Amino acid sequence: METGDNIWEVFIQKKPGIAFKHAGSVHGYDKKMAVQNARDAYCRRGEGRELWVVPSASIVSVPMEDADAYFDPQEDKIYRHPTFYQIPAEVKNI
Amino acid sequence: MVISIDTNFARLLVRLADTELILAQRLCEMCSRGPFLEEDIALSNLALDLLGRAEELYKLLAETEGKELAADDYVYRRNEREFFCYKLVEQPNTDFAWVIARQYLHDVYAKSVFTRLLQSDNSKLAGLSEKVLKEIRYSLERSKDWMLRLGIGTEESNHRLQFAIDRLFRFVPELFAFDTVDLQYIADTEGLIEEWKMEVSDTLRTANIQEPELKSTHLRDSREGFHTEYLGHLLSEMQFLPRAYPDATW
Repeated sequence: METGDNIWEVFIQKKPGIAFKHAGSVHGYDKKMAVQNARDAYCRRGEGRELWVVPSASIVSVPMEDADAYFDPQEDKIYRHPTFYQIPAEVKNI
Repeated sequence: MVISIDTNFARLLVRLADTELILAQRLCEMCSRGPFLEEDIALSNLALDLLGRAEELYKLLAETEGKELAADDYVYRRNEREFFCYKLVEQPNTDFAWVIARQYLHDVYAKSVFTRLLQSDNSKLAGLSEKVLKEIRYSLERSKDWMLRLGIGTEESNHRLQFAIDRLFRFVPELFAFDTVDLQYIADTEGLIEEWKMEVSDTLRTANIQEPELKSTHLRDSREGFHTEYLGHLLSEMQFLPRAYPDATW
């Protein structure tokens, strides 16, 4: 079990089948405290039925200064977006 | 005006309701005083669970007694000697170890009591017990985890928890001093005492805390309306507004 005052990212799943959504972050000295704190801070009003906490240190992100290089080139090419397909009515949660 | 409690079933309800209410009020006092933000929120959540539980019990009490009194009347218009909460829950928030030890000792007891009340002849009380037990399962998990963290944390946290347990154990024998009212509605009280002792002994041992001896005290019983010096102060704060402004509405 990890110890020490760490930050944990909180993800909540509203109902089965839907992607987990980032809700925020909490402090916690160990896994159990982190998941309990996440429950108390984010899940008291029917927000979901499943909960993940992930140590913030484990999350890898793109450095701010690289954002242009990573993300800009896609914006002007509409053929990258699958907008020409009809999505069947029965398909939910896309 | 003195609000009397007239039937045995009502006496059982008022003990349960007062115990949950007074503990809720103690936890409300911790709002903005928790050791860190997340724990502060967690304690307030717990206070609201206890308050909701108490409200349902007072509603049932009001219905049982049928005196055209509302839950608020029972909460705000009774004096110290007309309250029947166990002395354990009125003890002050001396430090975080006290908050946790008091909660843990209460949770273990409440779990056993409400488990037995699932079999109540009163369907509303049985239904409420089922809901309450879900909340207690979570609350007990948290309070027990904190008992272990404090007990085996640092020398300081161990000392503080040991001190809290030593003091709070004085109020434990009262929990088990069942009278005819309790015995009428709570099944297998011998088993309840065994369950409690086994669970608490096990946790204290794991938490590296010396288990104090359970000694009988000369304190008179809360079932008769006797309390420690702390309850009056708590009530004076809790009841101030409706007593000073009787016409105030929510």
